[in-house]
Amino acid sequence: MGNAELSDDPYNVIITGVGGQGNVLASRVLGNMLARKGLFVTIGESFGGTQRGGSVSSHIRISRDSTWSPQVPKGAAHVLVGLEATEAIRTLVDYGNRKIKVICNTRPIHPVGVIAGEISYPSAQDIRKWMEELTEKTWFIDATDEAINLGSPVFGNIILIGALSGINVLPLDREDFEKVISETMSPEKVEINLRAYDLGASMVSGRKL
Amino acid sequence: MKVFGPKELHEDVQKKDLCIGCGACVELCRYFRNYKGKTAMIFPCTLPQGRCYAHCPKAEVDFDFLASKYWGEPYEGRPLGKYLEVRAAKAGDRMDQGTFQGGGTVSALLTLAMETGLIEAAALTDREGLVPIPRLVTGPEEVVKCASSKYMASPTLAGFNLGVRKGYGRIAVVGTPCQVTAVAQMRANPLEKEDFNDPVALVIGLFCNWGLDTRKLIALLTEKMDISTIQGMDIPPPPAEVLILETANGEVKIPLEEIRPLVPNSCHICPDMTSEWADISVGMFEGRPGWNTLIIRTSAGLKLVDQACQSGFLITEKMPEPNLDHLIEAASNKKKKALLKAQKDGVLNTKQEDQRSAIRMRAEVIERITA
Amino acid sequence: MSNFIEGKAGTRLLLMGNEAIARGALEAGVSVAAAYPGTPSSEILENLARASKHWNLYVEWSSNEKVAMEVAAAASFAGLRSMTSMKQCGVNVTADFLLHLSLSGTRGGMVMVPCDDPGAVASINEGESRQFARSVEIPCLEPGDFQEAKDMIKWAIELSEEIQNLVMVRSVTRLSHASGTVVLGEIPEMRPQAVFKCDGFVLDPKEGIMVPAPVGFKHDLQHKKLEKAVLRFEECPFNTYRGPEKPELLIVTSSICHLYSREAVHRLGAEDRVGLLRLGTTWPLPPKLVEKHLRRVDKILVVEEVLPLMEQDLKVLAMELAPQIGVKRFYGKRDGSLPMVGELNPDLVGQAIAKILGMEYKTAPQEYVDRARQLAFFGAPARELTFCPGCPHRASFWAIKNALELDNRHGFVCGDIGCYGLAVLPCGFQTLKTMHAMGSGTGLASGFGKLGRFGLDQPVLSTCGDSTFFHTGMPALVNAIHNQSNITMVILDNSGTAMTGFQPHPGLKVDAVGNETPSIDIPAVCRAMGARVEVCDPFDLEQTESTLLKLLEVKEGVKVLVLRQICAQSPEKKAKKEYEMRVNEAACLGQNCGCNRLCTRIFRCPALVWDQAKGTARVDEALCAGCGVCASICSLGAIERKEAV
Repeated sequence: MGNAELSDDPYNVIITGVGGQGNVLASRVLGNMLARKGLFVTIGESFGGTQRGGSVSSHIRISRDSTWSPQVPKGAAHVLVGLEATEAIRTLVDYGNRKIKVICNTRPIHPVGVIAGEISYPSAQDIRKWMEELTEKTWFIDATDEAINLGSPVFGNIILIGALSGINVLPLDREDFEKVISETMSPEKVEINLRAYDLGASMVSGRKL
Repeated sequence: MKVFGPKELHEDVQKKDLCIGCGACVELCRYFRNYKGKTAMIFPCTLPQGRCYAHCPKAEVDFDFLASKYWGEPYEGRPLGKYLEVRAAKAGDRMDQGTFQGGGTVSALLTLAMETGLIEAAALTDREGLVPIPRLVTGPEEVVKCASSKYMASPTLAGFNLGVRKGYGRIAVVGTPCQVTAVAQMRANPLEKEDFNDPVALVIGLFCNWGLDTRKLIALLTEKMDISTIQGMDIPPPPAEVLILETANGEVKIPLEEIRPLVPNSCHICPDMTSEWADISVGMFEGRPGWNTLIIRTSAGLKLVDQACQSGFLITEKMPEPNLDHLIEAASNKKKKALLKAQKDGVLNTKQEDQRSAIRMRAEVIERITA
Repeated sequence: MSNFIEGKAGTRLLLMGNEAIARGALEAGVSVAAAYPGTPSSEILENLARASKHWNLYVEWSSNEKVAMEVAAAASFAGLRSMTSMKQCGVNVTADFLLHLSLSGTRGGMVMVPCDDPGAVASINEGESRQFARSVEIPCLEPGDFQEAKDMIKWAIELSEEIQNLVMVRSVTRLSHASGTVVLGEIPEMRPQAVFKCDGFVLDPKEGIMVPAPVGFKHDLQHKKLEKAVLRFEECPFNTYRGPEKPELLIVTSSICHLYSREAVHRLGAEDRVGLLRLGTTWPLPPKLVEKHLRRVDKILVVEEVLPLMEQDLKVLAMELAPQIGVKRFYGKRDGSLPMVGELNPDLVGQAIAKILGMEYKTAPQEYVDRARQLAFFGAPARELTFCPGCPHRASFWAIKNALELDNRHGFVCGDIGCYGLAVLPCGFQTLKTMHAMGSGTGLASGFGKLGRFGLDQPVLSTCGDSTFFHTGMPALVNAIHNQSNITMVILDNSGTAMTGFQPHPGLKVDAVGNETPSIDIPAVCRAMGARVEVCDPFDLEQTESTLLKLLEVKEGVKVLVLRQICAQSPEKKAKKEYEMRVNEAACLGQNCGCNRLCTRIFRCPALVWDQAKGTARVDEALCAGCGVCASICSLGAIERKEAV
């Protein structure tokens, strides 16, 4: 938490998941938090048809002085937040590199081909092994399970944002989060979102490799 | 016998216009369904082997396999198949006259079997308008509701399959030779399941020279009349050469030459006129209206017939030689024509080991029949 | 997220491109906005609808894009400022009116905002809107970032009012749906007085009649308007140059490609070798401005999406100027430097620049990419599109597919645009066999249904959504009925325009702003037209199938089957489970003969999961919408449903 300087400008974050998981919400919260710090933020999304169970990604460019392209250049992502693990792996093909840091939700969302029994979903062990091979550091978080404990799977995204702030690569403050959330939510909802945020941050703090 | 799966069934039978719509593959699952006489594959099933293919009477029917299972010997190609006796028969006083068509033998035997508990259900054929539909009956009074003759190929076995799924354990089937063949394949446990139980208690086969395509028949009759007025139909024995429709406004006769094009292609390769794999086979007695020809094949069949005669359900007499000879001749002709057609169409045995066929029969038997 | 509707001037916000455009409309003093939903444009009108609660605006979801443009034009004729927005396909729908409007001219400032979809992120085409500006001869502007998406609207509205013709401001998905930093401007106090002055001298632009005739006179006048626009373009602040006096390579770019180009140059570290001319006014090109920059270089790379239109215009201009400025070498789409198909990105632009300048464009090391791809083969199983759990279309297409196969005459379905368009895929059992534009399904069916005389004996069906019905489905149905075409039109009424975000349409009792309005009853309209109409609930699979089978047998005339069931994503329905579902594992046959995973393999609801270990199906409660339909498809009754409390 706090005032991390940008180690690179533009700094590139990709949030990836499955249509309907709340990718857009997460990227907007993150973007607004960073915008409050006076940073230039550009977010690129994929909407529409892809929401019907397809892969979705938000590309977030963070810069001190300019607006950059809404698409991250190939191989140039600094941080990847995976709302779904196989989507994170998919994203690494085009945008990953050896120095990338990844925060990954462990709850699988089966593609239709898997539930139909046609293709198989990788095991949790394999996912862990492969992600660790392809990244500098990966934090695996049971965000959905924890979110359900808090009352709804939708808090999973907030937990992951909390985790992102916890790994200290971006100037993400709890105070900014609270202000941003308060703009659109009632006080009771703000309360529980803060709990989710704090939970996420705590889940990475004990987890350095 | 060789067993393949639904993909092969679709290729070998439906796409080759060999499907007779008997219903053997219907109600085993949701992939094959029948509507107004036509069986369709709704979705593809990927299993390499299935009961659908195993039961189908037009796919890899191995006559030696069946004969060894039922008679303990290879298939010899006798015109009427294997049997114990042939008699003339008709329903006795215990049956309400006027509730059945023709001799009433089938209705009588079924009613007795139901009343004595030999069977707990019977897979029969009913009609909705002109469309034959399967009907699984579970009480004796329901039997006569299905008593009229239907000349159309009907998915009767769908009712049978449904009965098996519902857990009935002593089912009777009344069917045409193709349907009886399918039941025979089923009872032989073709997929070699360890926990297999035979749910069939009685098979009554009908005589059949050919069936009619339901949709084509409806189309033809719709051109000629208001089909909602049709109450029954009958095809009297030669030399009549007509299909008679009993309607609310009287009889309508249609020459058989208009009807013959409605015979499914599949009937032309069928070598069985008298339902060779049944316990009992029943047909018309040509020249003696009100009577049936009764072929008793198994000891179970004989036991039922005797019981029926003793209890007044059935009356039987000796079958006169000339009539028997005539029956044998007709059956022989059908066998010969069918095997020649099957040979010509390339669906009788195969040249290569890995090819699939509709009928498998020993070469010398075929020679003998087609000589 | 961002309160840009009421935000004060000077506030710095993170806005989506469409939000910026909507704010731009407010700052431009727009009073009337009309549109038809279409990704990526829908949020423009959605936000203006929200804004209309705070500002004095009339905002409408029209029945189709042509009517929307007509509604906006009416406002302009009455002296008000107006906007109409649409996706690229929608421009084609407006085309007839657009052609005539550009000739008749406008009065109050009017802007059209087409949002193109290069790469077809959410479309089944990547058509070009800019071509229309050229063919109907109106000025075309393209914002290059989020600030401009807002600022250009006001500039365009003022230009439109000056030249008395509408102006195109063209956006793309990667601008409309992306977000960036925007500083808000002033929203003027608008007290417009609408009056349609039409009794003056007929040719008077301010008080005459609004018609495109006499064509010669009006066309000439239109060209004079363009000349005025070009003069403004020469001084337009949205045309910017950044780079050395005499670069080795000049990039000419527009729209979001400007950000791709800037990023590409930055990654190559080539800021001292490459100049970036970013044009915000892309048609007609301002010749003096272009000449000034063409003089700097010999090599020009044109970066634009999708068609090489600016490239062609630049080449023509360069050829005309050649005696003065010399012969130039152009790179772009036509010579293969950039792909002709699909959207661009910083890497494609970077590779093009690198090739021209003899540099190397670095991305991730190849061995990383290869290894990642290798692991992704198993690690990232393909994710196909599907209907949501609880979607009525899954049930509708199940019934349609069953009915067509049972009918057994090779019947087929002509599809249309909407979520149900996904039925070309396994999720809809691949039932749709054609798909083109809004309303085309029934139009094609109307044609197929007349081919009986040439031997076509296959039953003909079309599917059409409720919103699509009002858009362009109705004229096709009229055609089929009047010409006695033998078809069955299946109207999938899920009470909303679902694919684009559940906007209302004339079949609903509510308008864009949420007020109660009269709704138009679809079955009643079809009956009034003379079709035979049946209405079913698609969740009742048996009834739907048997009704459809019956209709397929009717030999003549048009049959309409309305399948009415609300969308699982609709605000009314969402998260309200009607049933609790569970699989009885003991009864489930799984992979065995008699089932072969019918529910997971074929029905494919995302909430029905195949449990490999147990060999049975399982309901994922987190995803299940509780519609209960799967219970009807299991022939063994192994899927149980219980009414939810």
